[in-house]
Amino acid sequence: MEKKRENVFRTLARWLVRWIFGLKYEEKWFGIKKTEPKEIKFKDGVPDDSELIVSPGRQIFNRFIERKFAVFSVFVVLIMFAIVFIAPHFMTKYYDAFTETTQKDLPPTMDFMNVPKELAGNIKMIDSYSSFSVGLSNDGKVYVWGIGKIGATGIDIKQIPDEVKNAKIAYVAAGQDHIIAIGEDGKFYGWGSNRFGQYAVTETTASNPNLAPVPDVVLNGELDVNHIKRVTCGYQASAILMDDGTLYIWGNKQAYANLDKFIGRTNIVDVDFTLNYVVGLDEKQTSVYTGTKGLHAKARDRITGTKTQAMKDFLNGRKIQEVRAASTSVCLLLDDGTIGFTGDFPADVQDVPDLPEGEQFIDIEAGTYHFSGLTNKGHVYSFGGDHYRQAEAPKVEGASKLYAGAFQSYAVDANGKLLNSWGLKGYLFGTDDRGANIAERVVAGGRITMTVGAIAVIIEIIIGVSIGLLAGFLGGWVDIFLMRVAEVFSSIPLYPFMLILSSLLAQVSMTTDQRLYMIMVILGILGWPGFAYITRAQVLVARESEYVTAAQAMGVGTWRIAYKHILPNIVSVILVNMTLSFAASMQTETSLSFLGFGVNYPQPSWGNMLSRASNAVAAINFPWQWIFTSIILIITTVCINTIGDTLRDVMDPKSTNDK
Amino acid sequence: MARYIAKRLVYMVLVFFLLTFILFSLYQLMPANRAYTDARAEIQTMKRLSEAEKATKFEELYLKYQRMYGTDTDNTLILYLRWLGFYPFYDGHYSGIFQGDFGFSYDYNKPVVEVVPTHMRNSFLIGLITEIAVLAITIPLGIKCAVKKNSRFDRFTQVFTLIGFSTPSFIIYIVFIVLFCSILGWFPVSGMKTPGANYTGWRNVLDVLHHVTLPTICLTFGSLASITRITRASMIDALNLDCIRTARAKGLSEKVVIYSHAWRNALVPMVSIIVGGFFGTISGAMILETMFGFKGMGLLFLNATRTADYDMIMFLEVIYTFLGLFSNLVTDLCYGIVDPRVRISK
Repeated sequence: MEKKRENVFRTLARWLVRWIFGLKYEEKWFGIKKTEPKEIKFKDGVPDDSELIVSPGRQIFNRFIERKFAVFSVFVVLIMFAIVFIAPHFMTKYYDAFTETTQKDLPPTMDFMNVPKELAGNIKMIDSYSSFSVGLSNDGKVYVWGIGKIGATGIDIKQIPDEVKNAKIAYVAAGQDHIIAIGEDGKFYGWGSNRFGQYAVTETTASNPNLAPVPDVVLNGELDVNHIKRVTCGYQASAILMDDGTLYIWGNKQAYANLDKFIGRTNIVDVDFTLNYVVGLDEKQTSVYTGTKGLHAKARDRITGTKTQAMKDFLNGRKIQEVRAASTSVCLLLDDGTIGFTGDFPADVQDVPDLPEGEQFIDIEAGTYHFSGLTNKGHVYSFGGDHYRQAEAPKVEGASKLYAGAFQSYAVDANGKLLNSWGLKGYLFGTDDRGANIAERVVAGGRITMTVGAIAVIIEIIIGVSIGLLAGFLGGWVDIFLMRVAEVFSSIPLYPFMLILSSLLAQVSMTTDQRLYMIMVILGILGWPGFAYITRAQVLVARESEYVTAAQAMGVGTWRIAYKHILPNIVSVILVNMTLSFAASMQTETSLSFLGFGVNYPQPSWGNMLSRASNAVAAINFPWQWIFTSIILIITTVCINTIGDTLRDVMDPKSTNDK
Repeated sequence: MARYIAKRLVYMVLVFFLLTFILFSLYQLMPANRAYTDARAEIQTMKRLSEAEKATKFEELYLKYQRMYGTDTDNTLILYLRWLGFYPFYDGHYSGIFQGDFGFSYDYNKPVVEVVPTHMRNSFLIGLITEIAVLAITIPLGIKCAVKKNSRFDRFTQVFTLIGFSTPSFIIYIVFIVLFCSILGWFPVSGMKTPGANYTGWRNVLDVLHHVTLPTICLTFGSLASITRITRASMIDALNLDCIRTARAKGLSEKVVIYSHAWRNALVPMVSIIVGGFFGTISGAMILETMFGFKGMGLLFLNATRTADYDMIMFLEVIYTFLGLFSNLVTDLCYGIVDPRVRISK
């Protein structure tokens, strides 16, 4: 096999292959075992080793790739750069200021849609809220999946009480921090948080006038299970609706201002909870009943693009079959199989698809922002809020039941077998205190931190190297003056000065981007003296060398000598310092942002993402909010510093015979 | 030598004026007008005056306050000279930093000179202990690593110092707080004293120690890595010198070679770090003090910038600038002490 010429990329690729697949594959793919020491030829009885002599650049490179960890670091840094600068283009749903209260402080998990195996074959019903889902199997067993721990309260909703495990359950429903269940014998169960009387009446909840207590009929287990029409939960409230229109509703009246209006009603056909209101459908089925004037009084048939009409005009004689409520919007299923909407939607939405001829909706379910609809052909469609891609339904055939809640939807066939599920899977690194995905913020923050570091270093180099070259090459009073200036700059205390500048400039209104540029420029302006000193010292050495004397003797101009002969010889030293300075700038930026004087929210940076951890309570309760970011930051800086150190080692001629 | 010091001092004074002037002019950009707010506040108390009278009275008061604070001119240079104490106020008196008047902290409602010393003492105390501990650990460690270069011990230390060097200090502090305060529960998270408990005598000392131990440990750990690396690097350079080979060839014991010949040479690049470290103790550790709520210079400065406590910031800025320049001077003098060659060349 003809041996291909080694070059930088080929060698790096070889290292990657060796690292990932092992030596065997490296030999197989590259056909190189190890560079055999060349046989020294003799020419006229004298060993001719001219072939063994390599250029300095090649020598440095050869020695660099001998250091396994350094090469590994190069890959890590390259991969980090790639992730941080390319991945944001694929995070189409991401934006800096995103907040979602129901998703805050969630630990890392990917289990949001992991329906337990025992349940997946015989599902009776599923309900989800915020971060967990509860499912009921045909044989009356309850399963909970998702994140069971409710904030820092210590309540784990996944711990199903023993009496529930032993009973045969007929209905379940999930609220923000509680689950209710009704046994086949009519017995009522509840678990989770009861701070707002979600499922039991205690002394504290009974004395609170803002709570509607659980009705006695429900508590005493006197419900006729065969005539229950619907069981549903809201934020901190729950409702049970009977076939005859009787509604039992209870919970936190502060969360639901119009809850009072529903207590004791007996003419309700359907009921659901938005984020702040209870919405119902009375026996006339011609309007959404909220007990509040003007609310949900206008309807439209699409989410975007059509004008709203008064409910009467919109219905035009049709009747409402079902109301299903998301956070701020309500979806109406009409008796002719079409749907309508009232209320507001978030910015990022998927509109209702146009159904094929003959197909019509027979069931609608609502999540936090999205709706999922089931048609008479057994197909499913999702629409509404799409930030978590929960409104992008897959193709499903033969679905006969549909469940949705929070940010997930589940399609189930007639036998209770799970056909498909779609929506939010979970969070790789958890969520922060505003409910934003930390993994996405790490990527977006890394882009900012690395950009700030890189631009700051470039500014440092431009100023520092020019001044160093000038000072070293011109000498005399220019040298003295420039070095004094450098000394003044290096005696400016960095942190106090940065703090003053950023608090000063905070008075001036600037956009977040301008603030970012300011940080880069300040870091660059305060950091250049180091480069100036190094460049000057190198120039002083190079100026005395023979090749410069030779160039001068040949009449080459001063500036030509400076840039063509001296600069290339000091590039290596600058390169080393650039690497180390890049890591240092990144660290300075993170520290400043951590203190609140660098990059500010909503723009993410690795520094300000960690600032919440300065609170010891948050640091221990929500460790994922700082551990992942810290690890990635440390890995990046360790790798950059390793590259810098190794470069310095291999470029230093003194360390040649160390090994 | 005396001439050199004199030259340096003159230069230092010049730089001091230059830097303070830059900072002072920056601060003139702040949209704060103390005379205006004070005049406004006083006019609010006079209820009986009519609107027209108020307006004239306000002009009067505003001028009075402006003259009192010395802001009755827009000339930055005059303002700066007044602040220094080289230019008279309206009534002819001089009141600036050269008269010992550093201004008034509106946050603490005290002259700044009275606020700063306790903070400075706190910072200095914790900084000094840290600095001694750091040097006591890192110098022997660095020397050992350099002498046994590429040994297993050296590689092991190198890995740790690399990680420590690359980790921003606040992450180290977070880990320590979580470990010692939350998991082990050995130390309180923040503060200088147990709130509400007025201990006296010995109990008080123990209480303060209990609160100060963790910040000290954190601060020490935060600076171990970088100084170990520098010690190792300069020691390796020193051990490569020709004089070391000569000393070994002469048959000197390894101890003498390392501690007397090599260490003396390695000390030269380290002087600036050691001296700078000692002066840095007075400036305080900003991030550490913020995280622990430790009442030191760093926290004082940070709070002053957050609340725009103008005189306080300027005073602290003067202290920082002075310390920075003074430490440069001391560093240069120490070079002379450590390295006889430098002494001769001057």
